[in-house]
Amino acid sequence: MATITCREFRSYLAPWMEGERSEDAQAHVRACPNCSSVIRDLEAIHTEARSWSASEQDAPERVWTALRTQLEQEGLIRDTIPASVDRAQAAAPRTGWFAGLFPRLPRPVLAGAYLAALVAVAFALSGPVNRRVNEARWLKGTQISTSPLSAQLNFAEQNSSSYVTRSNSVVSASLHQNLAIVDNYIALCEKSVSEEPQNEVARDYLYEAYQQKADLLTQMTERGENVQ
Amino acid sequence: MARTRRIDTGELPEAEAIRLAQQGDAAAFERLYRLHNRRVYSLCLRMVGNTAEAEDLTQEAFLQLFRKIATFRGESAFSTWLHRLAVNVVLMKLRKKSGNESSLEELTEPDEESGGPRRDFGGPDLRLSGSIDRVNLQRAVEQLPPGYKSVFVLHDVQGYEHNEIAEIMACSIGNSKSQLHKARMRLRELLHEALRAQAREDRKAASAETGGKD
Repeated sequence: MATITCREFRSYLAPWMEGERSEDAQAHVRACPNCSSVIRDLEAIHTEARSWSASEQDAPERVWTALRTQLEQEGLIRDTIPASVDRAQAAAPRTGWFAGLFPRLPRPVLAGAYLAALVAVAFALSGPVNRRVNEARWLKGTQISTSPLSAQLNFAEQNSSSYVTRSNSVVSASLHQNLAIVDNYIALCEKSVSEEPQNEVARDYLYEAYQQKADLLTQMTERGENVQ
Repeated sequence: MARTRRIDTGELPEAEAIRLAQQGDAAAFERLYRLHNRRVYSLCLRMVGNTAEAEDLTQEAFLQLFRKIATFRGESAFSTWLHRLAVNVVLMKLRKKSGNESSLEELTEPDEESGGPRRDFGGPDLRLSGSIDRVNLQRAVEQLPPGYKSVFVLHDVQGYEHNEIAEIMACSIGNSKSQLHKARMRLRELLHEALRAQAREDRKAASAETGGKD
């Protein structure tokens, strides 16, 4: 026999759905088809809704692309350091990814190195109109084939260095300083790539480092030729 | 230029990703995004029922998260913190859409005590069981007031407990339970209305067919 009315059962309904089922409520539900129908409906709604989570999908990739662009524009993120560079160093304050590559250098030296590398790259990029021709000559001179790019660059470096050393000692000192920075950068990148050959970012950095060295050597060759 | 490819962040644990993201590490940001974007996007999609808007809201929620990540101290679970931001972003959007700056309480319907009883409770009616499917329930969810909708999606769809919802929605556990119950009851009403409308349509179609034959 039902001990409570339908109106009274209303206050039992929310707890019922949370699993709290008193004797009175259970007796009422057994005896009342209308209230038991309400419970069935609510359970059916809950069951259907719960099944939706199985079909949840990731947001389209464009959301991350747009988000990343915005984060970069706001300066909230810096590019990733290759994982082989000790992540523990991430706790220390940095001036950017470039600084992460030279963790032991004091800040003023680092700033100078950073500036020198930028100058070197800018210098190489803003070279004379006939740079392409000179690059082609340099590439021919280094006999690029299937041998590793780093070996080619080392060979080119020997030739370029001899040109510059013969010609102008001030330019030579500056360019050799830049070359040392880029070589250091390359060594770190090569280490990263050898440790994580599949890491695209590390490979990109290494490629960019080779590019910088190639540009720098081209510039050194041109300088040497111009002075002669 | 933005790098759009995925960076291999391996199985970087969430806590470590949070620590690195607090220092601006791009891969850590991406790791956190990959870990949580599905739930946030689904929440937004269920709340607004429109993929383009859901994408914008997901982006906005993560943007706010990453702007504030340096202030995250781990007092609550990271996912709870993120969901709170996401729910606020969605509710703000819905408030702007409806053209008023209402509080969470005003985003729900008047309760039965203060606003008078709503319609039928357990009266003889069409049976819902067996007739609920994804489409008609989604349609009904879209008609819920935003406050009800948030609690319903968080609890019944995403499986959050009331104590977590209370934290996400900045309300009491009792309030969360009460909102959920009202949301389900309102859904039941909406589904009944849809069922009745469908029955009327069927009758009309049947009588038109009979009339045509006569």
